[in-house]
Amino acid sequence: MSSKPGRVNPTVKAAIHQLVIIIFVVIWLIPIYAMVINGLKSNVAVYTTPVLIPPSSPTIEPFQAVWSSLSRPLLNSLILVLPVAFIATFLGSMAAYFFYMLSNSFSRVSSFVSNFLFSLISLATFIPYQATLIPLTKLIADMGLLNTYWGLAFAFFIFYMPTGALLMSIFITAIPPRIIEAARLDRGSDWRIFYKLVFPLSLPGFISTLIFNIIETWNNFFIPLMLTTTPNMRLIPVTVQSFTGGYATLYNETFAAAFIASMVPLGIFIFLGRYFIRGLIALGTGGKGV
Amino acid sequence: MVNVMAKGITKIYKSRRKEVVALDNVNIDIHSGESFGILGPSGAGKTTFMRIIAGLDIPTQGELYFNDELVATSNKLVVPPEDRNIGMVFQTWALYPNMTAYDNIAFPLRSLRMSKDEERKRINEVSEILGIAHVLNHYPRELSGGQQQRVALARALVKNPSILLLDEPFSNLDARIRDSARALVRRIQNELKITTITVSHDPADIFSIAERAGVIVHGKLVQVDKPSAIYSSPVTVEVARLIGDLVELNGRVEESNNKIYAVVDDFTFPINKVAANNVRLGIRLEDLKISDEVSLGDEWVFVGRARVKVSSYSSGLFRVTVVPPSNDNTEIVVMVDRPFDVGREVNLFVKSGKVLVFP
Amino acid sequence: MRIQGLLMAIPTIFFSFLLLYLVIWNLYFSFTNWSLLNPHPSFVGFQTYASLLYMEYFSISLSHSILLSVGTVVFGNLLGLLFASLLYFLGNEKMRSIYLSLLIYPLSISMAANSLIWLWLFNIHIGINWLLRLLHLPVPLWLSSPSTEFPSLMVVVIWAYAGLSLIFYLAAFMGVDKSLIEAARIDRANPLRILFRVLLPNSMNGFIVSSALLFLFSFRIFSPPYLLSGGPTNIFLQTSVVYMYYLFTTEYFAQASAVATIITAIATAVVIPYALYGIKRWMKHE
Repeated sequence: MSSKPGRVNPTVKAAIHQLVIIIFVVIWLIPIYAMVINGLKSNVAVYTTPVLIPPSSPTIEPFQAVWSSLSRPLLNSLILVLPVAFIATFLGSMAAYFFYMLSNSFSRVSSFVSNFLFSLISLATFIPYQATLIPLTKLIADMGLLNTYWGLAFAFFIFYMPTGALLMSIFITAIPPRIIEAARLDRGSDWRIFYKLVFPLSLPGFISTLIFNIIETWNNFFIPLMLTTTPNMRLIPVTVQSFTGGYATLYNETFAAAFIASMVPLGIFIFLGRYFIRGLIALGTGGKGV
Repeated sequence: MVNVMAKGITKIYKSRRKEVVALDNVNIDIHSGESFGILGPSGAGKTTFMRIIAGLDIPTQGELYFNDELVATSNKLVVPPEDRNIGMVFQTWALYPNMTAYDNIAFPLRSLRMSKDEERKRINEVSEILGIAHVLNHYPRELSGGQQQRVALARALVKNPSILLLDEPFSNLDARIRDSARALVRRIQNELKITTITVSHDPADIFSIAERAGVIVHGKLVQVDKPSAIYSSPVTVEVARLIGDLVELNGRVEESNNKIYAVVDDFTFPINKVAANNVRLGIRLEDLKISDEVSLGDEWVFVGRARVKVSSYSSGLFRVTVVPPSNDNTEIVVMVDRPFDVGREVNLFVKSGKVLVFP
Repeated sequence: MRIQGLLMAIPTIFFSFLLLYLVIWNLYFSFTNWSLLNPHPSFVGFQTYASLLYMEYFSISLSHSILLSVGTVVFGNLLGLLFASLLYFLGNEKMRSIYLSLLIYPLSISMAANSLIWLWLFNIHIGINWLLRLLHLPVPLWLSSPSTEFPSLMVVVIWAYAGLSLIFYLAAFMGVDKSLIEAARIDRANPLRILFRVLLPNSMNGFIVSSALLFLFSFRIFSPPYLLSGGPTNIFLQTSVVYMYYLFTTEYFAQASAVATIITAIATAVVIPYALYGIKRWMKHE
């Protein structure tokens, strides 16, 4: 029972354990560290000092330099992403309630319909959306909505409303069916049951879905690349791309630009990360949490 | 074999704002080869105590010794669970679902680097004793509750542990096979003479398995004795309630003819002398009787006339609730061998000297 | 089914069917010969698909896509499993959630921004090679050599997505009955044995989910290959998605549609079983 020779001291073991994790964490942090310190380097310093060495005389020059070209795209992203993500998530939640009713009814037809719709919203969530490039651009162009907020919002809805419905379908299953059955027996209308019962009960799930949608919409690069051409309508991830000139021709402002583009999702991740994580986990486990 | 000694074991859980004292200065000496029971309501700290013995939790304060060797002290695990040579049966059995019964039982042996022949021999031996030799190739999900429990027991026993820990071992079993499971555990404990600690909220487990028992209430060890002694002279009403069914009443102390009585509405219960004016009474169900007769002999003392309020049935006996004629809310439950009609008046008797009095 | 409930689902059903329309539109035009040279397309059957088979770029880009996805699944799973095990056996819950955040934050940043930073880190003079030289480690040429260009892309994608796998393994491990682990500890199993004999066999769900999502997420990434390569024509980094974008910009519309249809088909082959036999089944079990 007493400690045997050859057994590693538990304190040493724990220290090695921590050390291994810390090594990986440090490696994982290198890019964000580089982004922050190099954003504060002057033009000359960026080209002459190693990327991993912090600036000897920090300056906010690069931020001032990129701000004029990034302020409008940042504003565009803010104006567009938050309402789009909210509407997509809310309308998606309403559909999730409908799917929930559908999958809890017993008819064979509705189970087929439910499987079909469920596959469809899953496809919309996971499809490489770039594959819809041509018809989507054509559709938006035909509606005369290229280079407009409406056109972008419409395109985002095609992918992120089903995502909202899929995630909320998963979160809604946590509500005991008996509660909703009781409400239906009390002759509640569907809208009332949703608004008074289902929505409040699945609010944490709704927030997770919303955060997930905000981050995904914000970081979407391809859709705004296709649907906007005028500089005034650019969204932030696409604008950041203009700071690379192709074939490793880099400008010193890339770091500042990347920082400005990342600040909103990163801020959300830092303060509301657990909701984002819960949203991701729901996609993979049907709502069982960490 | 190993004796287990706890000195001043205290466990405090800190959650966000408040501190929860799970164990409060527990001192206990469990003898080598003894079968010891720990009784307590759920959440009273008895499982925490067992986990500290196993090494799965660390005491906030106090010391734990196995045979005078310090194994845990304040916030420090001196000997980790894997080196304590403990066999444990978890409340949910905790069988590895991805392994057959055989592999489950072999699991602790594989850590010991034993030869395959020796391993097979030991597993066959223990599964013969426990009557699971024919299900060794099955997965846990294919076994009945009783078989699963015996596999868990086999897994705990196969490595010849110095201490066997049983955490609510029978609560997940069907009521009808619990007694045979209890008998099996008791028999094995008797044969192997392993120091055994059983934690349970069910007095039946304690009576059937434990030679001695400790009662933990609100984190404190309040009484240690033979189960029958705890049953007949519990230190508090909580202990009395935990270890058996009990009728509880509040009485007013009165004296007449040099005898002391506790008066509850129309009833008068004979008691021993107490200092207080008001007392709490506890009477075991088997110490109460109702009858149409006026006297039942010297052993039984007449308490008063009572009216039958409810008549029901429970495991072979009729369960009759009676009340004093003047107060419909003072309910007394009596077990009798025949039903009584509701509303009729009967005579209520108590066994002399069996009224428990708590301050 | 009452009509009001159906009405509430109309917006989502509308946009979902719009997606279906886009997919079918692609399918339809992939059977035509629509391009800059043929502005009035006509139906040509499988001819467009057949023509793709003779294009070197098509097979190279498709193999890049598949290689990237398979590589991400393999290395993402290995790293995710390693990270999840390291974090699971960490006693301290607070530390665990801090480390978890630090390892998965790349998921929250735009891939476009990630790619820009990595472009600098891959600089052979002042990037991470500067550190590797200090440590006397071998210095790869990263994006400056054709042989290391694709592995460099892989590094970025795995760095970004390993956290995905970590989350699902950790969630699966946390779902394993804690008393199984305690029983194993009492049975003197060391952490490695607990991991491989108890945790992993009871976490197959984590493996399936992590593999499916790593595949789907890496199959559709666009900005890293697009930005790291400096343009859609760099043959060493071209994936199917980038190639399709290139066909579109050069106005080979029918071919672009055919590539899009192939991409969609591959993704659908993973998504539908995952949705119906994975997510939907788990929802029922709640």
